[in-house]
Amino acid sequence: MTPSELVPLYGFVRGDVLGLLVLVRTNDTVAQLCATLQEAAQVRVAPWPRAAVLHGTRRLAPELTVADAGLTPLARVELVPEEEP
Amino acid sequence: MLKRQEWLDLARKLDWSYSYVREQDVFPEEVSGRPWLPHAAWKDWDEPYRTSFSEYVTGQHEKEASITAVREAVGRIADFERHDRGWLSALKLHGATLPLAEFAAVVGNLRAARFGRDSAWRTTAALGALDELRHTQIPLEVLHELVAWDPQFDWTHRLFHTNQWVGLAARHFVDELLLTSNPIEFAIATNFVFETGFTNLQFVGLSAVAHDVGDRMFEKMVQSIQTDEARHAQIGGPVLRTLVEHDRAYAQYLVDKWFWRTWLFFAVVTGFAMDYLTPLAERKQSFREFVGEWIIEQFERTIHEYGLERPWYWAEFLKSTAHYHHLAYASAYTYRASVWFDLVLPGPDERAWLAEKYPEAWPALAPVWERITERWRDAPPGLEWYTHGVTPVGFCSLCQLILCGGTPTANSARVVEHGGRRHVFCSEPCAWIFEREPERYSEHETIVDRILAGDAPANLIELLRDYCGLNERTWGKDVRGGDYPFIERARGAASAE
Repeated sequence: MTPSELVPLYGFVRGDVLGLLVLVRTNDTVAQLCATLQEAAQVRVAPWPRAAVLHGTRRLAPELTVADAGLTPLARVELVPEEEP
Repeated sequence: MLKRQEWLDLARKLDWSYSYVREQDVFPEEVSGRPWLPHAAWKDWDEPYRTSFSEYVTGQHEKEASITAVREAVGRIADFERHDRGWLSALKLHGATLPLAEFAAVVGNLRAARFGRDSAWRTTAALGALDELRHTQIPLEVLHELVAWDPQFDWTHRLFHTNQWVGLAARHFVDELLLTSNPIEFAIATNFVFETGFTNLQFVGLSAVAHDVGDRMFEKMVQSIQTDEARHAQIGGPVLRTLVEHDRAYAQYLVDKWFWRTWLFFAVVTGFAMDYLTPLAERKQSFREFVGEWIIEQFERTIHEYGLERPWYWAEFLKSTAHYHHLAYASAYTYRASVWFDLVLPGPDERAWLAEKYPEAWPALAPVWERITERWRDAPPGLEWYTHGVTPVGFCSLCQLILCGGTPTANSARVVEHGGRRHVFCSEPCAWIFEREPERYSEHETIVDRILAGDAPANLIELLRDYCGLNERTWGKDVRGGDYPFIERARGAASAE
C-alpha cells in the first residue's frame, strides 16, 4: 500500500464568492473531500444535505479515492448541490 | 524682455543632434522602450499645459498652502474621530494603497525624465516626478499621523513593506506599472490608462463622496492631487498617438493589458469604499454607476479617437462591474483578520440598496450575506471567528488577488500548466496577460505557492501574525463587532421560535 500524500486542491463551492485551498490526502475519498469543502465554505454557504464534486465535466463518485479520481496537486474541483433521489 | 511664448520652448522643448554618440546609445531600446524610433518620429510631441519650472513652483506652493490651511482647520484627530467607522475604513484602505504607490511613480517618471524620447516629454515627466513625491507626502502626513489614535493607520506606510495579500498584489501591480516599465509602457499604462482612464474614480467620484460624508480633509487632499495628475497624465496621449502610428498591435496590447490590471485594483480599492464602507445615507451613486459615468464612456470615446478598439474582453469587463467587487468584499469580510481595516456587514437597508443597484448580480449574493447574518445570530456575542473563514484561500497567479472572478454560480478561475508548474488565474484576461509574457510573471509566487513551499505558515493565525505583519490590535474586525440591531432582532426571532 502506498503511503498517502497531501494533495492541495483549488475548491469552488457553488454559491460561494471565492476559491479555497483545501488539503486532502490521496487516500481520502471524494465524500471526504466533499465534507472538507462544505466545512471550508460554511461561513458563507450553508452545507447541503447532498453534494457532488465535479472535476472539469466529470462528476466524481463519492467512494473513489482522491488518487483514483485522478486529482493531482492544485487541480480545480467544484462542489455543487445534488437533488435528493 | 522676452515674452513667455518666446522663451518657453527653450526651457521645456529643446532637442539637439548627437555628434559623439549614436541616438540609440543615448536612448537604448531596453530602457527607452519599443518600438525604437528615431527622434524624428517623436519631434512633434507636445502637451497642452506647457508649464515652466517657475510656474510649477509657484502653483505647487499655493496648493501646499491650501492643503495646510484645510488640515489645520479640519484635519486633526478630533475631526477624524467624528467620522463614521465604515468611512474611516475607506480612509485606511486608500491611505495604505496610495502613498507608496505614488512613491514608486516617482521612479517611473524619473526614468521617463531621462529616457523619454522627446525633451518636452522629459520635462513634463520631471515635473510629474515632483508631483508624485508630493502625492507620497500628503497622505502620509495627513493619515499616518492618525496612528497615535488608531494603530490601523500605521498601514498608511506599512502595507507595501509587508507580505499581507493586498500588499503583495499592490506591489506586483505597482512594481510593474511604475518601477520597472520603460517610458513608453509607462506612458500608456500609467499616464493614459491609469491616470486618464481611472483616477477620475478617485479624484472626482470619491472626492464627491468625501464631500457628502463631510470629510473635507480627504476631499481637499484628493482634489489637490488631481490637479497634478491632470497635468502629467497628458504625457500618455501623444505617446500613444506615435505608438499607434508605428505599431498599432503593440499599442492595443498595452491598453488591453493595463486596462484590466488597473480595473481590478480600482474595483477593490474604490468599489469597497463606494458600495460598502460609505454610510448608506451618503451614497448618491453606486460604484458601477461611477464606473459607467467616469470610466466607460470616456475610455471608449478616447480609444476610438486614437484608432484603437475596445479591449477584447470588454463583455467580461462590463459583467465584472456588477460582480467582481461584491465577491471580493464578501471574501474580505469573511477573512477580515487578513486586512488592516474593519469591514461593515451590510444590513437589510444596505442590501435593498445594493439589490436595486445591481439587480442581475444581487440574487446570487444575497444568500451569502443571509448566511453570514445567521452565523452572527448564532454566535456568542462578539465572537468574530464564528463568521470568519479559517481555510486558506486561492490567489490569482497574475493579479495576486483572491479568486473572485465570475459569479457565485460560475467562478471564472482556471488552472493552467506552464513550465512544469500549475498556475491559477481568476479570469481569462489575467490568464491572457500571463501567457503573453510568461517570462515576466512565472517566477512570482502567490501566497499559496509560498505556503506549499514551506516559506509561509499554513495555519491562518500564524500566517497573519508571523508572515503578514498583522496582530489582534490591527487586523480587521467587523466595525460593530457584530452588534447590529437587525442581528439582535434575528436573535430574538430565533429564540421566540
